[in-house]
Amino acid sequence: MKFFIDDLPVLFPYPRIYPEQYAYMCDLKKTLDAGGHCVLEMPSGTGKTVSLLSLIVAYQQHYPEHRKLIYCSRTMSEIEKALAELKALMKFRAKELGHTEDFRALGLTSRKNLCLHPSVKREKSGAVVDARCRSLTAGFVKEKKERGEDVELCVYHENLDLLEPHNLVPPGVFTLDDLLRYGEEHKQCPYFSARRMMPFCNVIIYSYHYLLDPKIAERVSRELSKDCIVVFDEAHNIDNVCIESLSIDITEDSLRKATRGANNLERKINEMKTSDAEKLQNEYSKLVEGLQAAEQAREEDQFISNPVLPDDLLKEAVPGNIRRAEHFVSFLKRFIEYLKTRMKVMHTISETPPSFLTHVKDLTYIERKPLRFCAERLTSLVRTLELINIEDYQPLQEVATFATLVATYEKGFLLILEPFESEAATVPNPVLHFTCLDAAIAIKPVFDRFSSVIITSGTLSPLEMYPKMLGFNAVMQESYSMTLARRSFLPMVVTRGSDQAQISSSFQIRNDPGVVRNYGNLVLEFSRITPDGVVVFFPSYLYMESIISMWQGMGILDSIWNYKLILVETPDAQESSLALETYRTACCNGRGALLLCVARGKVSEGIDFDHHYGRAVINIGVPFQYTESRILKARLEFLRENYRIRENDFLSFDAMRHAAQCLGRVLRGKDDYGVMVLADRRFQKKRNQLPKWINQAMLESETNLSTDMAAATAKNFLRTMAQPFKARDQEGISTWSLADIERHREKQKLEEERAQREVPQNLAYGGAAPAPHNGVRNGAGDADEFDDDIDNEDLMMLDAQ
Amino acid sequence: MPPARDIMAHRGDDDEVCPVCKSSRYLNPDMRFLINPECYHKMCESCVDRIFSSGPANCPVAGCHKTLRKNRFRKQTFEDINVEREVDIRRRVMQILNRREEEFDSKRAYDDFLEQREEIIANLVHGTDVAKTESDLQRYAADNMRSIRANQALEAQEASSFREQQTHEQELARLRREAARLEYENERKEMLAGREDVLSRLAAGRPGDAAAIAREGHKVLLKKSSARRSEEDRIRQKQAALRNSDARKAGQGALTTADRADESGDSGLIKGLKKIKTPEPEKPYDPFGGLIPNKRDYYTLRDHYPNSYLDPIRQDTRMQAGGYDLQEYYSRTLMEAFAGLGCFIDEEVSKREVTSTMGISRPVATEGAALAAVSSAGAPEASS
Repeated sequence: MKFFIDDLPVLFPYPRIYPEQYAYMCDLKKTLDAGGHCVLEMPSGTGKTVSLLSLIVAYQQHYPEHRKLIYCSRTMSEIEKALAELKALMKFRAKELGHTEDFRALGLTSRKNLCLHPSVKREKSGAVVDARCRSLTAGFVKEKKERGEDVELCVYHENLDLLEPHNLVPPGVFTLDDLLRYGEEHKQCPYFSARRMMPFCNVIIYSYHYLLDPKIAERVSRELSKDCIVVFDEAHNIDNVCIESLSIDITEDSLRKATRGANNLERKINEMKTSDAEKLQNEYSKLVEGLQAAEQAREEDQFISNPVLPDDLLKEAVPGNIRRAEHFVSFLKRFIEYLKTRMKVMHTISETPPSFLTHVKDLTYIERKPLRFCAERLTSLVRTLELINIEDYQPLQEVATFATLVATYEKGFLLILEPFESEAATVPNPVLHFTCLDAAIAIKPVFDRFSSVIITSGTLSPLEMYPKMLGFNAVMQESYSMTLARRSFLPMVVTRGSDQAQISSSFQIRNDPGVVRNYGNLVLEFSRITPDGVVVFFPSYLYMESIISMWQGMGILDSIWNYKLILVETPDAQESSLALETYRTACCNGRGALLLCVARGKVSEGIDFDHHYGRAVINIGVPFQYTESRILKARLEFLRENYRIRENDFLSFDAMRHAAQCLGRVLRGKDDYGVMVLADRRFQKKRNQLPKWINQAMLESETNLSTDMAAATAKNFLRTMAQPFKARDQEGISTWSLADIERHREKQKLEEERAQREVPQNLAYGGAAPAPHNGVRNGAGDADEFDDDIDNEDLMMLDAQ
Repeated sequence: MPPARDIMAHRGDDDEVCPVCKSSRYLNPDMRFLINPECYHKMCESCVDRIFSSGPANCPVAGCHKTLRKNRFRKQTFEDINVEREVDIRRRVMQILNRREEEFDSKRAYDDFLEQREEIIANLVHGTDVAKTESDLQRYAADNMRSIRANQALEAQEASSFREQQTHEQELARLRREAARLEYENERKEMLAGREDVLSRLAAGRPGDAAAIAREGHKVLLKKSSARRSEEDRIRQKQAALRNSDARKAGQGALTTADRADESGDSGLIKGLKKIKTPEPEKPYDPFGGLIPNKRDYYTLRDHYPNSYLDPIRQDTRMQAGGYDLQEYYSRTLMEAFAGLGCFIDEEVSKREVTSTMGISRPVATEGAALAAVSSAGAPEASS
């Protein structure tokens, strides 16, 4: 369908649109017009991606600036989904407009997923693929070949040089599979095609890391212009991604390997001194002149780039005491030995970078400045030595990265040395955590550089937390509710067991047999009344294990077994995926299954339990983080002192966003239905921190239930849901046709006029209403207004979006 | 700490057998290994006691003929003995070659110096040209004794000020943490008290106003918490301001560098050092700013000018007794006669016109300012 938002014609690839999609697009357009950042929360399964893409593509094509879209998502499968969605959209546009637009969209992922080289692509680990690919494609290898030496090159990569550099792939949308196929047909490397074509694309879809991790971002995303529209989808965890991209853990093992790497480097230098001393001399003189050697080499060859963010990079010459290769290696060795010495300490230490640097200086006479240049110097050295088996130097590179980071940032970082894995351990296994405490550091360049950054997800409540934590100002913060023709999900808070004793996973009572039995009974009740799949989330693996073994002792598992197959998520990815597969089979064939998993595990983040794969989700306990962790404590203190976020506020926010993520797993669209159970006394007070769309659907009477009441309510609900539901019932209420949109606009105009005439009041229309910050949309009211104008149109497929 | 951990503290000494007496950790759980920076051979504490208690002796390791003293034995810091040795050498060299970046003309010169120092250390570590390098070092140390001392002092001062700042910051952080904890506690207490208050009032009141009391209690709680928040904000701001001023103070402390005296610009070994400029001694204060008070440009004042009218006065005691001084008269008359000789009216008038037009174009300047400008412009000419 085609409609207008202000003067912008939007082509939407489906015949119907959800009201919240429409509102979302309106707000998006306003943000783009205003040129600023925004935070948008949209219920899961309401077609966020497609509305985002169709609006931005329309925006791109309609206005002369043709702003580029950078769409970042979290996982491979989400990237694939977005690409497929975009492809369908462009097809629809071409059909609707009658001509194909000059449009290029590419997805970028790691070499491992995009390799075509017959032997390299068979490697299992991504690091090995990267290393082998480099050894076949690096600039110096090609030079060697030209000199007549016998070295292997990648044909696919070589063929790229024969093509026009700005036209490696024809216009169009390429999913990753398309790209692989095209590469195979034309014998060209898909990975490098995508990388080199990035400046010429209208839409780029890739993972967060290509933009946030300074180690990669500098290489991949450097040329993107300032007016790009950056979208972070599924961004509820973006602060953790930012922090992880700048944190490093160093273990004794990695130090040992780093020493080996340093020794190897030394040997290589000596070899080169006898065979090709000139090259080392060249590098040396380049460094003396202060030339940035990096500029000259092809950037794709880079082994590691500087982990420091672009604005902090200093354009200076490398300090004199690490200019010579042999001096640098001895410098590295000294630093590694120093770290090893630190590792021998038997008590936990946490210190700031300045105090660490002073200690380094006292003990080894390593100063701050050469440390800062460590990563850059290592890159240059590796390039000069023309090392091929780069994966051996991984730990060394890690140490160099650490050195550079610790010498660059004074604030927002902390070094924590933990000699023992746990409190009870007697065998030391020291880990040096270099943790970033400030999420704003990594994302700051993104906000500084791009004028419009859009952060969106299904669960971002409370919205004001994100601008606070990430250090930016949002021009628009919106949370949309879900318009539903029937009440298709049932959120409940269960605070008591059937015996009226309170249930909670709080530390004091979590192992209380009574509480555990009540939880067991709750799960048993729900596995009895729910058809097909039930998903249960626990706060942690440890707690899950203990509670399962207690359930076994109480005979609860045996009773559940009568109704459902029981499957458990484990930290091991392969085992979990096997369990998941079995779970799906059991849901499909009618046996029904119960999946026990962890609220911060893999299942809670990326896996959808749509339709019969998940009819009920039970959150056992509030998924708080492990508060005794020193890293978390340090971060909490940092947040308190710098952003004025109180410890408890942050912990509760973090727990609730994970709980909301878990709940959102079960509802993946408007025709889907499911029960959402929050089983903990403490949820009653935290209800307001749930996303608006969940909170609004929760009735006051269902916030303080006991197990038997909850089971009765759920039974009722499931029976209602089992009634036949025609798609046409949704029309005009939760799906709009073109006519509905027109009507909505008319109404809006009228209201606007009225508002202008009368006292300005907060209108209930979040969309384009005069007071957009007040996004309270009354879903029920909506339904009433449109109840009587259901058009006589064809029956819609139930699954049509 | 459980006892098991204490034992584990000795891990890292990979070979658990003393190379001299072959006793192992199994037999002697608190065995400690020591090294001597003379030859860096490792041996256990009891061996050191046994061999070196009665004075200096040869190293017991075969092939090593160094004479060792007991007091030089110490614990090994680094696992790698080569690094240990390098760091020892480095310590010595760094103490001598301790030039600072600000002493050099350019960054490049400083970098060259750093490389040179690294070269010297590498020479000493790998044993190339040891004799020459050593003698160079000694000569440099002798020549630049004062600057070395000064730089050492400077470094020590910086280190201590850094340490001070560090402890100060830690103290502040502790205080802030404490404050936050108190805040939470107070909040909790208040909440509990409020709840209790409502309960007691509910118990005392009539059944009719139960709802009103509950609502009121809730409101009070809310009000309290918002008031507390604003109070907190105020305190935090104060703290932040305090922190800033502290930081500034500390920064100033670090900036005050001791002035350093050096005898010669070129130190022989190191090139590219800044030439040290000694400031010229300050001249005595001149209140007239270069103007000599009794200097006359066009004439010299004489004691006596022959004049028939004035001569009798010289003799007249009546005049003299009244304090009349002919000298005074001469000087005044001559001054008047020559006054204005350096002034050129035409030029001044034209200049005045220029400035007055400027005064018009610039409405801010007042007439008086313009006049002042004229007179000040004219003054140097008048004096010349």
